[in-house]
Amino acid sequence: MTSLATKTGIDFRPSNVYGVWLRHWLAFKGGWLIDSTAIVIEPLFILLAVGFGIGRFVEGIQGDLSYQEFVAPGIIAANAMWPALFNCSWGAYQRMENHKIYETMISAPVNLSELAAGEIIWGATRAAMTTAAVLIVAMILGLLSSPLAILILPLGFLVGLVFGGMGLVYASIAPTQHSMMLIFTLIGTPIFFFSGAFFPIDSLHSGLQPVAWAMPLTGAVHVARGLSTGELGLSHLYGLLYMIGLASVFYPLAFILLRRKLIT
Amino acid sequence: MSDTQTPPIIKAVALRKDYGEFHAVKGIDFEVMPGEIFGMLGPNGAGKTTTMRMLSSISPITSGRLFVDGLDVEKEPRKVRDRIGVVAQHDGLDPDLNVRQNLITYARYFSITGKAAQDRAREMLEFFGLDHRSGSGIHALSGGMKRRLTLARAFMTRPKVVILDEPSTGLDPQSRNRVWEQLNRIRDAGATILMSTHYMEEAAQLCDRLVIMDNGEILSRGTPDDLVMEHAGSLTAVIRPNNGNGLAVRSALESMGKVVRDRGASMVVHGPEQLRGELGQIDNATVRFRISTLEDVFLNLTGRELRDE
Repeated sequence: MTSLATKTGIDFRPSNVYGVWLRHWLAFKGGWLIDSTAIVIEPLFILLAVGFGIGRFVEGIQGDLSYQEFVAPGIIAANAMWPALFNCSWGAYQRMENHKIYETMISAPVNLSELAAGEIIWGATRAAMTTAAVLIVAMILGLLSSPLAILILPLGFLVGLVFGGMGLVYASIAPTQHSMMLIFTLIGTPIFFFSGAFFPIDSLHSGLQPVAWAMPLTGAVHVARGLSTGELGLSHLYGLLYMIGLASVFYPLAFILLRRKLIT
Repeated sequence: MSDTQTPPIIKAVALRKDYGEFHAVKGIDFEVMPGEIFGMLGPNGAGKTTTMRMLSSISPITSGRLFVDGLDVEKEPRKVRDRIGVVAQHDGLDPDLNVRQNLITYARYFSITGKAAQDRAREMLEFFGLDHRSGSGIHALSGGMKRRLTLARAFMTRPKVVILDEPSTGLDPQSRNRVWEQLNRIRDAGATILMSTHYMEEAAQLCDRLVIMDNGEILSRGTPDDLVMEHAGSLTAVIRPNNGNGLAVRSALESMGKVVRDRGASMVVHGPEQLRGELGQIDNATVRFRISTLEDVFLNLTGRELRDE
């Protein structure tokens, strides 16, 4: 690690990223039974309730897709947002402000760039767990026609990176614990419902469509749907690049803001 | 410590920290030698915690220099943190991990992993009397156990120096004694510790040398005994005048050439052992003698009590 630092001039220890990630894995293993209900049961309820409950009243939606086939990939991709957002906003805030764990880490030889990377990658890991669980169920139910649908799993991880970064940015600027609620109510929920997961973006008023496309989940939902039908085009590549771009903006922003908050 | 060849493990030169208009640390100098327990004694707001935060590079230095093990904290903050163990006032323990996991997870940040980490954790839990709690959650520990766990965590990595910010604050007397006993054993084992405290008893019991701080400045420095001898003499006479005789008693004392210090309802005179004979016969007052303490030193230096906030 020292050699990497001296060779590149960049003092970044990947082993610390793994250390932070491993901390989360240990904590997760300690309470996995409870956490796994959130991972599996909640998205499954949404899938079944929306797909088969609401879906019963919806006629063929885009081309010859049934509503269940339309909504399933969207729900899988959109659901990846929640665990990452939760871990890196609410969870991060708890660790930072209430338990002072971040201070313990940065008083040890962990830099905030490594800490933030560990947090966000863990958020993405949790996102991938949820994605995998619902993906399997949707496949069993036959809602995903293309074998490419398996790629929704790494897509879920990417969604986790984006929203993990966003959550951490918010945690580092949120003034109070109570204000942590706002990222779920004002940001998470609108993104979840207007990302195109539940209805096509082009059914929105034309003025609102660019807004919906700019939302950080829309690209992922679009790509997930392409992967589930196997019909992929350039727009899917743009969606993917947009997600990668967001992730690579949120991450440095997160650790810069954390530095501003914690190093005083 | 008298060996002038040994370089200090910590060296602060004109160290200063400003928060805007507030001057938390006003250009202090001190050196901590290997193998000693060095104390910073002072009330809250004296600048002790700020100094420690600068050492662990979580607080940028405004001006001056700070070295740990010969490394400049500003230039090589990470290498400094590789070499120190920090026990902050808040425990900073991870409530989602059990006792042993807290140690192992921390050690990994110092590249101590696998069997080495497991063995060291076992050793530390044993030393700090927590071996029977290694699988417990943090929430199940008493305050004293948590503090001992943070000590165990700091010593997990065999640091060159451990920084303890008020190690016994918030502990009941029994837990405090236990922590002191263990710190004494650690000192005997050759560890180097920089600790802050606002308990004069803690400073007197544990510290080889100390600085007395107030308002971001070092007021005095030395061994606990030297400080007491210098600023308060070995003996303190506590004189409580009978009703209405305060002024008369005071002028009687002053005519004997004594420096009289007010302490609320009573007054004190410091001096050597002979004081006992000289002041035995004061009229209209009750005189009680006691050993001078660091508290007297602090009061004499600042005019207020150490526990003032």
